[in-house]
Amino acid sequence: MQKTITIIEDEPFIIEALTFLLQREGYLVKSVSDGALAVDFIIETRPNLVILDIMLPNVGGMKILEDIRATESISTLPVLMLTAKGQKKDRRAAEDAGASQFMTKPFENAALIKNVKEMLFS
Amino acid sequence: MASALLGTRIRENRKALGISQKNLARIAGVSASYLNLIEHNRRGIAGKTLNAIARALNADPAELSEGMNQALIDRVKTAAVRNTKIKTEHDRIEEFAARFPGFARLIARQSDQIDRRDEEFTILSDQLKHDPYFAEAMHLLLSNITTIRSTSDILATSSQMPAKTAQRFINNLAQEARKLSKTAEDIFDYFEPTSEQQVTSLDISPYESLLEKNRYYLNDLESDSVTIDQILVSLKLSADEYRATKKSLNSYKEMSENLPIQQFLVAAKNHNFDAIALAQYFNTDILSICFRLAHLPIKVEIPQFGLIQCDASGAVLYRKQLNSFSLPRYGGACPLWPVYRSLSQPLQPIRAMLDMPMGDRFHTISFAYPTEVAQIGMPALTEAIMLFTPDYAMLPKVAHGQTPQLDVGLQCTVCPRLACKARRAAYLLSNK
Repeated sequence: MQKTITIIEDEPFIIEALTFLLQREGYLVKSVSDGALAVDFIIETRPNLVILDIMLPNVGGMKILEDIRATESISTLPVLMLTAKGQKKDRRAAEDAGASQFMTKPFENAALIKNVKEMLFS
Repeated sequence: MASALLGTRIRENRKALGISQKNLARIAGVSASYLNLIEHNRRGIAGKTLNAIARALNADPAELSEGMNQALIDRVKTAAVRNTKIKTEHDRIEEFAARFPGFARLIARQSDQIDRRDEEFTILSDQLKHDPYFAEAMHLLLSNITTIRSTSDILATSSQMPAKTAQRFINNLAQEARKLSKTAEDIFDYFEPTSEQQVTSLDISPYESLLEKNRYYLNDLESDSVTIDQILVSLKLSADEYRATKKSLNSYKEMSENLPIQQFLVAAKNHNFDAIALAQYFNTDILSICFRLAHLPIKVEIPQFGLIQCDASGAVLYRKQLNSFSLPRYGGACPLWPVYRSLSQPLQPIRAMLDMPMGDRFHTISFAYPTEVAQIGMPALTEAIMLFTPDYAMLPKVAHGQTPQLDVGLQCTVCPRLACKARRAAYLLSNK
């Protein structure tokens, strides 16, 4: 069965590149760029994995992650956090908030795909 | 050694000025043969004769007599050891300074200048880390680079891509490259030294500078290993700076005596670093607790707290910023910060979770308090503080889980919340 991945990211060209990459691997890809709509979108679309940018307009990635973990129906969803701030504190905060995996921008396409596959497999 | 070289110093000074021994003797009112003995260190001189020769050489009699100022020699030594790759004649520095006083001063002056440049460089580096514009610009830059890297990699590795899709990605690349170029130009413009704020932003008080160097915890002062006077002596201060720094250090000492660090840390851990619970435990005011929490040693098990203190106009009186939360010194902060709201509710602590545009979250406690007894017909003088921490997970759940959440920013110019009703200045990073 085809797996679904939701991208929550505000940069349209990054969404386009990620969508192409993931579709090329056979995944169904959906995206939302407004942080305020993210949690409802996830509840509605029930993806197998979420790729979540930490810096989003309106509602930040950390808050979205906390809301995902606090919402029973999606609380166990694997979440891959992306950030342009590759600081240790961000990684720690994301892990504390329940991020399954963490990658910093700019990332290698191959590394991202590898992480996605591993997360979906586990 | 120094006094033995008096004659040598006279001779070197005379030669540097191009005066003959005979002429110097005449001007100083001594015989040429006597001056010859003096210059060969075979006669000692003092008093009237020394003053006359020094005056004729346009030199300081004390410097001629006692040799170079020890501080100057030390400065030359500092310059000598600064570069370990060049072997200098350490044992002859005093002789060098005596023979070539002008060069000695030049080397010492240049060494001092290097020290000052190093210090300025450290301050500027630190400010760069805390600059919200720069942080946002770097975020943009990395986003631009991510798009370019990812898209170009797709183009390079997808040989079977339909022409239309490839063209779309090429267009994306071109657009993103233009954005990158604009971001780079904006950063370059920002660092042109034209704005008043950039010039004045270097104006850090010696006390703040001392705290920054010690990461806001003066261990030696807390443990009585040094006195306030010893600290003051170690800082090079003007009279005004001395008074202001002494006052601030006295306040710090008072805080550390009222809330001794070991006792405080035990209680803080028992109360999960909650300022309000600690104020109740110590039966003291929230203000004192907030200042104590903002001045703790840096350890993994201790949450990091920042603090801003302002007056009723919003002018910043004191600040301890964190790498993740920079605080503008000269106004211009986000008007939605609860510290400003607290000014209209004195003595009522306000808890709030701040959600920043870049995804950072902070638990805050804001508290306004009168600074003197109110007088009839006069407005009450009020100040406010906001204590904040990104380590809210270490606080009791109730302190952050059931706390109102506010979407705020740092400054309008770097805040991407375009629809914010409190906006009073345009978002400068229009590239976004």
